[in-house]
Amino acid sequence: MDSHSDLKNVSLVHGFRNVLRSPSGPAAWADDLTPITVSDWSYDFAAQLIERAGFGGTPEEIARLAAMTPERAVAHLVDYGSVPNDHLEPFDASGVWDPGLRDFPPSRVAATRRAERTGEALGVRVKPEGERRLQPVVDRFFYWLRATLLETRRLANWWADRMVATAHPLEEKMALFWHGHFATGEEKVRDYRKMEQQLALLHARATGNFRDLLIEVARGPAMLVYLDAAENVKGAPNENFAREVMELFTMGVGNYSEQDIREAARAFTGWIDDDLASKVDPAKHDDAPKTFLGRTGNFDGVDILRIILEQKATAEFISAKLYRYFVREDISPAMQARLGAVLRDNDYEIAPLLHTMFLSRDFYSEPSFGTRIKGPVELVVSTYRKLGAKRLAGIPDLYVVSRELGQVLLNPPTVAGWAQGRAWITPGLLLARGNFARDVLFPDILNFTDPNFNPGAEIKRVNDRILAGMDIREATVERGPGGGGGMEGGDMTMANVIASAEDFNTRYGSLVGFQEAVRKIKPIPRAAAQFDLSLAVVSSGAKTAADAVDHLSMRLLRVPVDAEVRAALIAFLEKQLGTGDLDRAASYSERPLRLTAHLIMSTPEFQLC
Amino acid sequence: MAIFSRIGGVARRDLLRAGFGSVILGATGLGRSPFFSQAAAAPAAKPGRILVVVELSGGNDGLNTVVPYGDDAYYRARPRIGIKPDKLRKLDDHFAFQNTMAGMERLYKDGHLAIVHGVGYDQPSFSHFASMAYWQTAAPNRGELYGWVGRMADAMDPEGHNNYVVNIDTQQSLAVRSRGHVPLVFDDPAKFVRSGFADESSPLKLLAARGRGANEAQEFMYGVSRSALQAEQLVRDAWAQYRTPVDYGLVRFGLERVAALIAADFPTKIYYVAYRNNAFDTHVYQGDVHARLWTYTSDHIAAFMKDVARLGRADDVVLMAFSEFGRRVQENTSQGTDHGTAGPAFVIGAPVKGGQYGKVPSLTELRQGNLVYTTDFRRIYATAINRWMGYEDPASILKGEFDPLPIV
Repeated sequence: MDSHSDLKNVSLVHGFRNVLRSPSGPAAWADDLTPITVSDWSYDFAAQLIERAGFGGTPEEIARLAAMTPERAVAHLVDYGSVPNDHLEPFDASGVWDPGLRDFPPSRVAATRRAERTGEALGVRVKPEGERRLQPVVDRFFYWLRATLLETRRLANWWADRMVATAHPLEEKMALFWHGHFATGEEKVRDYRKMEQQLALLHARATGNFRDLLIEVARGPAMLVYLDAAENVKGAPNENFAREVMELFTMGVGNYSEQDIREAARAFTGWIDDDLASKVDPAKHDDAPKTFLGRTGNFDGVDILRIILEQKATAEFISAKLYRYFVREDISPAMQARLGAVLRDNDYEIAPLLHTMFLSRDFYSEPSFGTRIKGPVELVVSTYRKLGAKRLAGIPDLYVVSRELGQVLLNPPTVAGWAQGRAWITPGLLLARGNFARDVLFPDILNFTDPNFNPGAEIKRVNDRILAGMDIREATVERGPGGGGGMEGGDMTMANVIASAEDFNTRYGSLVGFQEAVRKIKPIPRAAAQFDLSLAVVSSGAKTAADAVDHLSMRLLRVPVDAEVRAALIAFLEKQLGTGDLDRAASYSERPLRLTAHLIMSTPEFQLC
Repeated sequence: MAIFSRIGGVARRDLLRAGFGSVILGATGLGRSPFFSQAAAAPAAKPGRILVVVELSGGNDGLNTVVPYGDDAYYRARPRIGIKPDKLRKLDDHFAFQNTMAGMERLYKDGHLAIVHGVGYDQPSFSHFASMAYWQTAAPNRGELYGWVGRMADAMDPEGHNNYVVNIDTQQSLAVRSRGHVPLVFDDPAKFVRSGFADESSPLKLLAARGRGANEAQEFMYGVSRSALQAEQLVRDAWAQYRTPVDYGLVRFGLERVAALIAADFPTKIYYVAYRNNAFDTHVYQGDVHARLWTYTSDHIAAFMKDVARLGRADDVVLMAFSEFGRRVQENTSQGTDHGTAGPAFVIGAPVKGGQYGKVPSLTELRQGNLVYTTDFRRIYATAINRWMGYEDPASILKGEFDPLPIV
């Protein structure tokens, strides 16, 4: 293919440009929405575009965008419908759900109460007599907790793999944005199917109309459960949903009163999830008149959303949040007003706003270049993409990595989603990011154990004692790590007192439920990432260790390292290769190049794009 | 029983001192700014004293924590979730802890726990995020870039020493965000380490210790990078060598890590720890959930106080615990409670004069179904800053005059 020769040209052009001018547009372009022209367009601009509107790319991918006009390049990313993407596979569910799990009780207490009252819960009947009559119900309760948790991890894994493999990176970047915006977490929803359904919606409407997206997300079972909408009934409104809709999803604080929240909550009364559908329960809906944002009428929930969308504040809030996500942290009030107008003039269609942002001089101006701190999921996905891997690796494990880096897909910390920017980085997290890079470049397969098979120390201890022949009561008593010295009540903390009731044992139930769940869940494939740095470096035309370092830096970084670090990297690689001559070292250069890549990916610069 | 081994070794102590002696943002120096040169003239804080702040996120239901069982209005408002007198740990003839709070009951009875009633602020927000941000910045209904702990560190330590503030969390809290300090933030100490092959160690150090960035984002990244380089060894060693016989309960949300750093003689003055993920947001079927939350919280805090005493530092440590708001007086139809306003806060430690402070809010004279706060939360902050840490001008940090309480 001609991609190699393309790339050589690109490298040369890139090096040439570096000498001549800084990679970004001028600082004076800041806050200027004038579209850039073909004469402004460059490899570095194309790299900025794919970095922000996607997850970055290989030099080959960037070169392909650089060869287009800026309009074509932006259209290629934003209007992705015509770009073939058939190689993506749908989510392959394990089949852990069954109809008995419908209307899953909110807590173990609720489950056992239901069982006491009716003799049955979760599709499982209470034992007619004997010890621990409710145990099967408790087992079943914990089975589903674990099964939906693990299936959600598989779903997150599928999604991240899709981010790596897709030819529509902006679709994924927008789905990720909406997921943080309409933050909904499995820990509360407790049904991976509802999460999967919501995720499909975020994909389908990724760059579509915000009005449609808002209404459909708000009526989706995942959101209804997450914000207790089902508890919001006539006469006793629960304001959680109404408040978050306004504060986080549409207008932002300061644009409505507490009274507006109470009135809106009344309009949302009766909205309820019905397994994977939703409905309005007329008996629980308050259909008396409400006064909301200065208007009075017999509003229902959708009316409220429509009134919210008529507010200027909504369009500005959404476009400012998109700007912060794609461009930079600080947005001027003037810019916010102009972008809000673009969104409103286009009747809340997202794609035209994205065209405006990605073509603007502002987007390529100096303050927009190399100033964005990558979020954890972006870091992970872009790492694989930049190295040239076509699939997400199974080792390291995505869940473990993303928990350590602070962004677990499908489990945002709160309904506010994830704080962006500097909140992503602390000293510890910077180290963790470097460690992730090492785990990708040098996966420690020998020490790998599947984290999904780890039930935690407590259940493990119970399991070991049960296997050793202890009875259930004896096996499930927890002692402190130091063997005593607890609170009042002898050697037990209060937690022990609660764990063992007469009719069932929760710790035993956790163990049995866990075992059943892992028996049914399909495994996550555990392969290391596949890529070849030697080939990439040689194909770039690199002849020396210095060329190789420059190629890896260009491939991985948007903010170049300084001369001192560059010199140290070259010296390091030369030492590892035993020569500065890449040809001479060709047959064994993969490991030295990976070590060098690890160093580059451990720099502060690698965290920026 | 495991034995705690006091960490010795001259090399280690030197490392600690070196870490503390260096200043992360020295180049951007606070000392030169007018505000901070004034602050620098203020008397130094009491040496050796440590403040631990515990944040209970989600809006703790104060009425089911410090239960006013002597008030019939409590049971009238909460016919289903009100906790019956026989299921309580009575503190006096009016108030009781819920049954799972054995550890905190002991601390109260020993005179080491102060309850401050009716803590809140004017024009309360019912949003978790807004209200928590108000608490974290000590600036209700205003925007404020830095946290109150961050500002406190800047005022008390204008030079910006390393590791002055430690935040146990996966992400830096707004409370510790500071102009002149890069707080040490970590979650799992064992993972607070840069892994590298032997050959990589010197280039890894070189690329982590960098000069000035070309813009603010780079400058920030370099600052964090230098901080990480200096702190990782210290934290890891402290944690690896920490042994304790004390049982920290089932949810160890961070105080055991604080104890490990205290045991290792960390120079840290302020620790910020959170019970995370909005855990206390009990909208539905809260009885069991809330009881469990306080099992964990009370077990964990009591264990920490016990551990600190074991380390011989009981007289140096004061802990304060709060939540961003209380919950509504009336229970809701789902056997839970919705977002409310005022709630109790706790100040705990051997130096504390235990008991009850602040006017008890009325359960019947409500504002739209909510308690009317009686004690501004910044009075507790002022207590911590002034009466405990010994900094004379809390108003400059809190941006207003707030009377300290006579708790310490």
